Amino acid sequence: MASGLQFSTLNTSVSRIDLNEKVTGSLRYFTDMRMDDMLYGAVFRSSVAHAVIESLDVSSARSLPGVRAVLTYRDIDGINAYGGLVTEAPVLVQDRVKYFGEPIALIAADTEELANEAKGHIRIRYRALPPVRSIDDALSEGHQKVHDSGNVARHLTVKRGDPMGALSRAPFVLEREYRTSMQKHMFLETEAGMAYVDEKGIINLFCSGQGAYWDRRQVARTLGISEKMVRVVNYPEGGAFGGKDEITIQIYLALLAFKSRKPVKLVLSREESGAAGYHRHASRISLRMGVDREGRMLASEAHIYLDTGAYQTYGPNILDVTMETINGKYRIPNISVDGYLIYTNNGMASAFRGFGAPQGNFALESMVDELAIALDMDPIEFRLKNLLNDGEVGPLGATERGMKGARLVLEMARSSPLRGLEARSPLPWIRNGVGLSFAVKGVGYGPVDDLSTAAIEVLPDGHVRIYFSNADYGQGINTGHAQIVAQKLELPVESINVIHADSEYDPDTGSSNASRSTFTGGNALLLACDSAISSLGAEAAEALETTYDRIGYHGGAFRSEDGREITIFEAASRAISNGHPTKFTGTFKMPRVERPIEGMHEAPKVVNGYAAMLSTVEVNLLTGAVTVKGVDFYVDIGTVINPLIAMTQCEGGIIQGLGYALHEDYRYDDAARPLNVNYTTYIVPTTQDVPPIGVHFADTREELGPYGAKGVGEIPIVPVASSVSNAIRNAVGVSCGELPMDPTKVLQCLDRRSSGTSRHVYTGF
Amino acid sequence: MKISVNVNGRNVDADVEPRKLLVDFIRDDLHLTGTHVGCDTSSCGACTVLLDGVAVKSCTMFAVQANNRNITTIEGLSKGDELHRLQSAFIEEGGLQCGYCTPGMIMTSAWLLSNNAAPTEEEIRNGISGNLCRCTGYDSIIRSIQKASSDRRGGRK
Repeated sequence: MASGLQFSTLNTSVSRIDLNEKVTGSLRYFTDMRMDDMLYGAVFRSSVAHAVIESLDVSSARSLPGVRAVLTYRDIDGINAYGGLVTEAPVLVQDRVKYFGEPIALIAADTEELANEAKGHIRIRYRALPPVRSIDDALSEGHQKVHDSGNVARHLTVKRGDPMGALSRAPFVLEREYRTSMQKHMFLETEAGMAYVDEKGIINLFCSGQGAYWDRRQVARTLGISEKMVRVVNYPEGGAFGGKDEITIQIYLALLAFKSRKPVKLVLSREESGAAGYHRHASRISLRMGVDREGRMLASEAHIYLDTGAYQTYGPNILDVTMETINGKYRIPNISVDGYLIYTNNGMASAFRGFGAPQGNFALESMVDELAIALDMDPIEFRLKNLLNDGEVGPLGATERGMKGARLVLEMARSSPLRGLEARSPLPWIRNGVGLSFAVKGVGYGPVDDLSTAAIEVLPDGHVRIYFSNADYGQGINTGHAQIVAQKLELPVESINVIHADSEYDPDTGSSNASRSTFTGGNALLLACDSAISSLGAEAAEALETTYDRIGYHGGAFRSEDGREITIFEAASRAISNGHPTKFTGTFKMPRVERPIEGMHEAPKVVNGYAAMLSTVEVNLLTGAVTVKGVDFYVDIGTVINPLIAMTQCEGGIIQGLGYALHEDYRYDDAARPLNVNYTTYIVPTTQDVPPIGVHFADTREELGPYGAKGVGEIPIVPVASSVSNAIRNAVGVSCGELPMDPTKVLQCLDRRSSGTSRHVYTGF
Repeated sequence: MKISVNVNGRNVDADVEPRKLLVDFIRDDLHLTGTHVGCDTSSCGACTVLLDGVAVKSCTMFAVQANNRNITTIEGLSKGDELHRLQSAFIEEGGLQCGYCTPGMIMTSAWLLSNNAAPTEEEIRNGISGNLCRCTGYDSIIRSIQKASSDRRGGRK
């Protein structure tokens, strides 16, 4: 692929599809940036999880030669708080520390060493408070409060029909408790960036992030300045997975550059990222479902608890998604869902690929599988029987649409060679099993307003510049959007130049999250293309001495009825000489559900992706080790814009899900200090852990999507843990009900099976 | 300490602090930022370079240990505009997403192929098991390396 204009550090940002730069090492990531005269930033963080700050003295650190700034809460002119939905987490703690690694002071110094050394000169005295270490702890009698308001940050109830009555009358009822662990994003590039104040007084931020405009808003709010005085650039970056969705280092960088009036670079160390970065919410879910003898789901009652850590950030939205996921897309006439967001001193949980769906899916699909066995029904047929149809009202009151894709992935899974795999190991201590699960993940935010604006500019030199603020942190949205525009304008993709996420040049397309970028950004770009074609078509008609309704547009050119042509670029050139615009914007409004649920921000959704996943496992009865031997993944993401990128997204999401299922386990000790903050202690999958994965795209089309596309970012991780758990149950006859299913847990679970004390052993009804 | 190294075919004389890590020398002194840092514990492999043709994690060596030796970084792998076959293969097979692990992954693969022109899939998996990727799930990386090895042998197996 030809290389486009090189990304130039700290300059305007014209870049094309970036593979060439990535394989040659020429792409400058935020960690690679440097400027003359730059300072190095560092963050002084709490060394305890829960304490009152009795005194804080930074004077000695400030007086060190070469230290240019030491900032505390006193140096914040605006609002000392941030948070995606709930603006609650202090940027710099004033009086009470609520998690280990919470930021207290910021330092900028001439060298990195000096910045770190200065931390040792900050004098702080704490009065320790007992830490709240888990959901159970937070809800226990006489518990310590994390916030004065108590430990329940949020409680929401959704009820339809008569769940208690239906459950009491149901012929078969199953009740289980499920627990899921915290998962770290572990992106290869830690949170990092560079900030400087330019001659116009604008703070330029080149930093990790997923939504330049949202970051800009939060930075301006804390600095007490106008949003226009902040520029945010979010490209290129080394992975995000949701962990850079909420504010990480943006405000620190802005404060340091603003106060020191010098360029400042800040890169979190791996351990710092591990301790103070975000993670997936741990959950405790109790679920009760009732079915009749024919296998119809009658009722469901769920109590969901998510550990949001010290602050809410996106916790309420994530809880909404778990509450949506707990009933999937099944026809359950009577439901009750209680969702609780719980404060603890376990760092800060926030967005992570799947956004609350993997937790709910683990509980629901584990139980659905058990129900199918109890009813002696095929797991695929049982799910198909209970799937909603288009036009029916779903668990959260939305009228369903697009359910053909949901059906299709399950039907496709029927033909997986992994199904009915009768492989039996000759070794008596090895058991084989196969497991199925089904998953749903929404696209976009659901009930809230979501406007995406994007722009295209047709240049006379034969290129089209496209402008959008969706951050490409590796998922490939720059390429996807370029393809959508190339398709619409019938131009080679090489002629499309992407102006990557930069709030100075790009309109607000919103963030790269919620599997929404392809859908919302792609649609906005298509609207901009429509505008370009009609406006430049008028120029062309004039040039061709005809009228607009008498010309066509094909292959990048307008053509008159008598066969004369003018290219879109020539038309642009003419527009320029006529003083007419050549840049066009489009704004797409994401469709919302017609009947939102009061208090819900992120559910239900209008557009959803669906997947069915089969996995085969080998369980070692002696060691408890589980090896995944094969995966077949059937997914409906609508039209596949770029099969290679989509496949890689699927493979990557599945592997991240296998880590979550089997061994990734971010933990805190009794003092709520994080235990595994780097790659030596927090184990992510390596090449040795990856089974053969078959990715199969359903041939579907989402009528509201750009060229029928939906979104692919999150759906691959959602069914993984439940599929593996169902395979383990198939192998050994017992479900763990708890993540990760590491050897210790599997052995405990096997012990419970032997002693007959497991609540998860299937014994029939 | 004065050291003399050959970096990507170019002789470099430098005066480095004895405790300076090789990766910092490469990135901060030579401004070759294609060699990345994903951890400081030699776990991730993003900093992999070739030292006298052998893959090493440059975060786990001192710069002075490279004295009088040849260092090849990702920037030295292509010949001008002509990409190394591994680089082309990673593009063709989509063996990357965010690209942060890619330079290290390619350098490790270059060493693997220099020892074993036609590795089996298992040999590739073993060969790059010290390099972490959090985006791709590895399969596309393995396909890329297979493609590069079959290209060298004049066709796919």
